Amino acid sequence: MRRIRPVLALLVLALFASPAFAQDTTITLGRFFGACDVSGVSIANAVGEPCIIQAIVDAYSEADNGVTVDTLPTDWGNYYDQIKASYAGGIDVDDWAPAAREAVTFDGRIYGVPMDAHANLWHVNMELMEAAGLVNADGTPILPSSPEELLAHAQQVKDATGADYLAADFAQFPIGVRLVMTLVWQQGAELFADGVADVDSAEAVRAVETIVSLFDGRYADPRLDYADSQQSFLDGEAAILVNGTWVVDFYDAQAADPAVALTDYYAADFPTLFAEDATWANNHLWAVPVNTSRDAEAYQAALGLLAHINDQNLAWARTGHLSVRTSVLESDAYAALPHRDEYVRTAAIARDVVPVVRYDAIQDVLNRELQAIWLTGKPISEALGDADLAVQDLLD
Amino acid sequence: MAGGRGARRVWTLVLVLLALVWLIPIVWMASLALQPNDLLARTTSNVAWGLIPWPFTLDNLAFVLGSGLTPRWFLNSAIVAGGMTLAVLATASLAGYAFARIPFPGKRVLFPLVLAGLVIPEQAVFIPLYTQFAEWGWHNGYLALIAPRVAVPIGVFLMTQFFRGIPTYLDEAAALDGADRWVIFTRIMLPLARPAMTTLAILTFLYAWNDYLWPLVSASRPEMFTITLGLASLQSNFAQSEGLGRVMASGVLASLPVVLLFLLFQRHVVRGIAMGSGK
Amino acid sequence: MTSSAPTRSRAARRVRDAVAGYLFVGPFLLAYVAFLLWPFARGVWISLHDWNLLAVAINPDAKTFVGLDNYVRMLWGDGLVWSLDHQWGVRLLGLALVAGALWAWRRGAIGRGTALAAAAAGLLVFGFALGLHPGEGGRWGDRRFWPIVGNTLTFVALTVPAVAAMGLALAIGLNRDDRRSAVLRTFFFLSQVLSVTVVTLIWQLTLSPRQGLIAHAFRSLGLEPLAWVTSPDLAMPAIVIATVWWSLGFAMILFLAGLQEIPAERNEAARLDGAGPLQLLRHLTLPALSRTTTLVVVLQIILHFQVFGQSHLITRGGPNDATQVWVRYIYQTGFRNSELGDASALAIVLFAFMLVFALLQMRASRGEA
Repeated sequence: MRRIRPVLALLVLALFASPAFAQDTTITLGRFFGACDVSGVSIANAVGEPCIIQAIVDAYSEADNGVTVDTLPTDWGNYYDQIKASYAGGIDVDDWAPAAREAVTFDGRIYGVPMDAHANLWHVNMELMEAAGLVNADGTPILPSSPEELLAHAQQVKDATGADYLAADFAQFPIGVRLVMTLVWQQGAELFADGVADVDSAEAVRAVETIVSLFDGRYADPRLDYADSQQSFLDGEAAILVNGTWVVDFYDAQAADPAVALTDYYAADFPTLFAEDATWANNHLWAVPVNTSRDAEAYQAALGLLAHINDQNLAWARTGHLSVRTSVLESDAYAALPHRDEYVRTAAIARDVVPVVRYDAIQDVLNRELQAIWLTGKPISEALGDADLAVQDLLD
Repeated sequence: MAGGRGARRVWTLVLVLLALVWLIPIVWMASLALQPNDLLARTTSNVAWGLIPWPFTLDNLAFVLGSGLTPRWFLNSAIVAGGMTLAVLATASLAGYAFARIPFPGKRVLFPLVLAGLVIPEQAVFIPLYTQFAEWGWHNGYLALIAPRVAVPIGVFLMTQFFRGIPTYLDEAAALDGADRWVIFTRIMLPLARPAMTTLAILTFLYAWNDYLWPLVSASRPEMFTITLGLASLQSNFAQSEGLGRVMASGVLASLPVVLLFLLFQRHVVRGIAMGSGK
Repeated sequence: MTSSAPTRSRAARRVRDAVAGYLFVGPFLLAYVAFLLWPFARGVWISLHDWNLLAVAINPDAKTFVGLDNYVRMLWGDGLVWSLDHQWGVRLLGLALVAGALWAWRRGAIGRGTALAAAAAGLLVFGFALGLHPGEGGRWGDRRFWPIVGNTLTFVALTVPAVAAMGLALAIGLNRDDRRSAVLRTFFFLSQVLSVTVVTLIWQLTLSPRQGLIAHAFRSLGLEPLAWVTSPDLAMPAIVIATVWWSLGFAMILFLAGLQEIPAERNEAARLDGAGPLQLLRHLTLPALSRTTTLVVVLQIILHFQVFGQSHLITRGGPNDATQVWVRYIYQTGFRNSELGDASALAIVLFAFMLVFALLQMRASRGEA
């Protein structure tokens, strides 16, 4: 399996160490995924990202190992803003040796443990695909291999079922950005690399045109946000939903619920519409700002926790995320999880953005300009040109 | 005259209908909070567009009260709003009394200087306040949530105006009897100022309970969220569509104290608004 | 000898008063300086730096003094040109308002100072400033700033008249001492006490094209529900609707207070003279309320200029910045992009904008008192 670069998603800073609660070393752990509403659930019984991660961490905290973990769960939307704020606000930097300060600056030595790879998948409603004649003899969905085929399939679905071909959150979170990046990569290009923006390349225009052709043909609705696109897929109003790996087990459970319109669910690799295989991916990874001399005890405690989380990688993979450990990927238990055999190739084709310092801001720019194209009808060349300027500003 | 009465009836009807329209979103929130979560995941319009809570359940409210961080957020809001109210009442009444009654050197300069602070909005100071409190290690503490509002001069302005309106013979008589400033302030002026202070207290409490921007910046640990901030964090979670009933129940609970406070002290709130805007 | 005792006691009293005075104002003054004046000055100072939140937190020396660069980049650009017809629609509208102000002065409705100030400001903004735009190959230093100012002003321009007009209508309708009016007043005011996050919670769902109450109503009328929040034309109206719903009660209360100052005898007298309700409104009520109206409008402008929560939580500034407003831009520049210098400059310019309205408010309320 191709190793996915552990960049960008600096998930957690285990920062503040204090010897609280008698002998227990307390480490503070910040994470997103939201708060788990249920307490005291075992790892095996936990469902969904918040509860699985909470159960894994709780198991370590409660074990008799001299370590107590204080968790700061927060919501995804404000996570990066808040972790920056608490990072800036909570550290007693005077407490550090000058060398230690340098060690945590931008190109700092960050000790990271990747927890997963999460990528964009095509979530498929097989019932609608069947009706449109888009199912292979072996029961797998027929997915397009070119932009032209994409439109042809979309027309087939529309004719046979009246449903939309594709839904995704084009209006809110940056799923649309990730979609465009994927299509750009499939043509062997990049939106930016080596400090140079190339957002208005011919490949980028082609990628955006491919998506816009779906809107123009009324095969997809750009106005759906995250919740609405998901609901529309579950309600059987769209044959394909482009979303991440993190929802596979949730959709599997929904498909089993008789009250939900989606009945026959398939999780497919992102199809290759151009020359190269690629799908957007990223990692959740755990990081500790390294300074072993600062507090060896806390550092060991943090490492112990990360080792434990690493041990529990299979449990985390139950969210739908790809495991990062070969032993888990090859295990029977992993293969027995629902739908995993349907998107095995994703691990191989997964690609990540080149590392840049101000990725948040760049992603915001791209998201805004893409929304301008599909929601306000801003001409593609103009929007990508504006995005190019703005991204270049952020790279400089 | 008969035509006038007819027109008035139509007018009343319009007002009543409009008032109902105004109430409907609140009723809807309450009704959704009283419906089962798994029903809401499928539809929010079960009976009468969801305005009638059927099937009825108290699970969401019980859940929100019994687990998660909502009770803690409630406590935080109570501490912050209560602490802020007390601090504002104390500092504003003391300063207001001094500005209205005590002839001390420098008052002519100080009072306009304090009033000038009225034009500085929260947004102009929240970034420097943030870095300042970060240096002091104040963030994620109650003091950080309370202190900035104590500095807003509107309370001092209100109390000064009020004390100026009290006839001077009352405290002059007491002063002739040999009472000192502190005694005059606590025994005579404060009891007289009760209506103004009630108003100021309620306005401060409402402000503290509902403030969003500053807590969003200052409180990054969920245990230190106020209920207003906690509610915002529930809204922006991916899980939103999965736990609608619970989110709505949190909204209902977050609103109950201020709604009750308002219904109990409606008169003071109304007068406070008129006063606070300089009327 | 005889006069020295009272003199000494007067001197002693002066000292006592000075001590007491400073002890009494001390606690407030301390908070005022520490949490308002000093931070404000520090904000100005930060705005003169290239100041990254994270870099400076780790290394306090990681900031550079850049003078007014942040302001110049925000407000200005390269290769700007002026043309007569740029944004002519808005500018004509603005110039019409200037003409209106001058006309009102001629009619004696507003003072000379106010009229001239308004006309000068209007000419500067609409006659000149809005005609500026980047020429061939030119660009704004910050392409987002002025559109965001425009969004904020649009929000204010849509919200304030709606709130003021409806507040006035309700106040007139409910200015009665009976029980029904009291109950209705409570209903209208109730939404005002809710926090912004409850308001956004309610409206986020109410406006949803799938699950929303408005969508249910549309569907039962056989109409296709509107995608309020994700449509570029409806997103701004959506947060305006939520805001009007939220803040109507406040305006109503102020108008009621104003109405109660009109002596009942004057109404009675006019009615006995045979004035109809509309004549009464036009010739008696509205003129008597003119100061209250000014106050309501100015207060609402100040309040809604600071809009944050509705944009942050309902539309997230989108789609494509259509509802991105000034305060949210400050917040995001500071705490998402970590650029505290730029964010502080934005905040200081916002302060300058609002100062104008705050001074107007002081004028209006002083006139009242």
